[in-house]
Amino acid sequence: MKPVSLLLGSRLTFDVTILAPHVPFLLKGALLTAEACGLALVGSLAIGFLVAALRTSSSPLLSRAAFVYVDLFRNIPFIVQLFFFFYGLPEIGIYIDAFSTGVIALSIAGGAFSSDVIRSGILAIDPGILEAAEVSGLSKPVIFRKIVMPIALRTSIRPLGSVFINLILTSSILSTITLNELTGSAKIVASDTFRPFEVYAVLLVVYASLTYLVSLAISALHRHLNRDRMPEVA
Amino acid sequence: MRYTSFTSYDVVLLAQGLGVSLALFLTTTVIGLLLGTIWAVIRFYRVPVLSPLIAVLAELLKNSPVLVQLFLVFFGLPALLKINVTPVEAALITLSGNTAAFIYVIAVSAIESIGRDQIESARVFGLSRWQVLRHIIAPQAMAFAIGPLTGLLVNQLQVTSLISVIGVVDLTKIGNILNLRTLKPFIVWTIVGALYYATAKLVAFGGATLEKRLRAHSAWKGL
Repeated sequence: MKPVSLLLGSRLTFDVTILAPHVPFLLKGALLTAEACGLALVGSLAIGFLVAALRTSSSPLLSRAAFVYVDLFRNIPFIVQLFFFFYGLPEIGIYIDAFSTGVIALSIAGGAFSSDVIRSGILAIDPGILEAAEVSGLSKPVIFRKIVMPIALRTSIRPLGSVFINLILTSSILSTITLNELTGSAKIVASDTFRPFEVYAVLLVVYASLTYLVSLAISALHRHLNRDRMPEVA
Repeated sequence: MRYTSFTSYDVVLLAQGLGVSLALFLTTTVIGLLLGTIWAVIRFYRVPVLSPLIAVLAELLKNSPVLVQLFLVFFGLPALLKINVTPVEAALITLSGNTAAFIYVIAVSAIESIGRDQIESARVFGLSRWQVLRHIIAPQAMAFAIGPLTGLLVNQLQVTSLISVIGVVDLTKIGNILNLRTLKPFIVWTIVGALYYATAKLVAFGGATLEKRLRAHSAWKGL
């Protein structure tokens, strides 16, 4: 392979080919990132729907409690939440590995953000639809599962996508609790090769392209889910 | 000998950490505001070469983890340019750039929120492009942008916690130090979290107050 090196003066060299032998190692890290993000996506969607249901419920106590959860986890830095769980859980006798801790923390933080998005999706539903469902004799849980959830999901798929993209970017913080995901592996490669600039520059572009691909996928999904709706909505 | 219990000096430590976090937050916000607005104005004037370059840079900064940006500046730049970068300098550069990228987006959409007809009629009245920007666009764009800006700043305040990873002794780092000394993670991280929460609420409150004032001209005054 021909080395692609960019010579900036005599002392400044930028050569990404030195990363070639480390690609498999970085891919392993990327896989771990993907796993953590995938699991956290499922977790945060589950929490998001539950909390959104609580927030839009008619019980003032439940909606208040849900609001407190969202408010707290949106206004406290993720790294503080992560340390809270990572150092705190063993204290109360729960010994789980860094990966599970990371996924749990990501799900809880992501759940707060996605519940806000889903909530506004629910509030945007035409009350006539809900009245029609009630008149048809459907029970509350059935209305939520069969009517509210599908409609809210398809109107809020785009903002949910940006929550997910944020989740991917946030997952890099998991490297601070000894988890060698993409950023963690890059850190190791950087100290092995003594070429931190190349490593982190490539990593930056990788993350940016990854999130760009995800946003393309989300746009496609949004168009697919809203294919039967009016053009100004889709 | 290790002091495992909390001492009154820990309050000073926490206050010091909060001070460092706040100082960096405020400094990078001001720099980010300036830089982001300049970028948006460059786009407004459609400066060739520069404006697509800025668009790409902003996209890269927005779509990559701040932690990676921090590492690039703190570990990468010194290796590339053979210079010394202190943790605080790296934090200042990274956070300013990151904030600027988001402010650029807000500023661009704020400028675009103003109808073309307003700009055209102002031009017809003989105002120069600068005068249009200064007297027609800026006041309205400011009122438009203040809402998203508040949301952004609350977020950027939380982003400052990442600089503890490269060794800036901010509130999170103090939390780490206290956690390792006292081994009481629940108490330490709850206090640190509460301090961040209170600060975030303060920023949000400030933003809401400012928004009310900037929008006073179009507010409903009652019959």
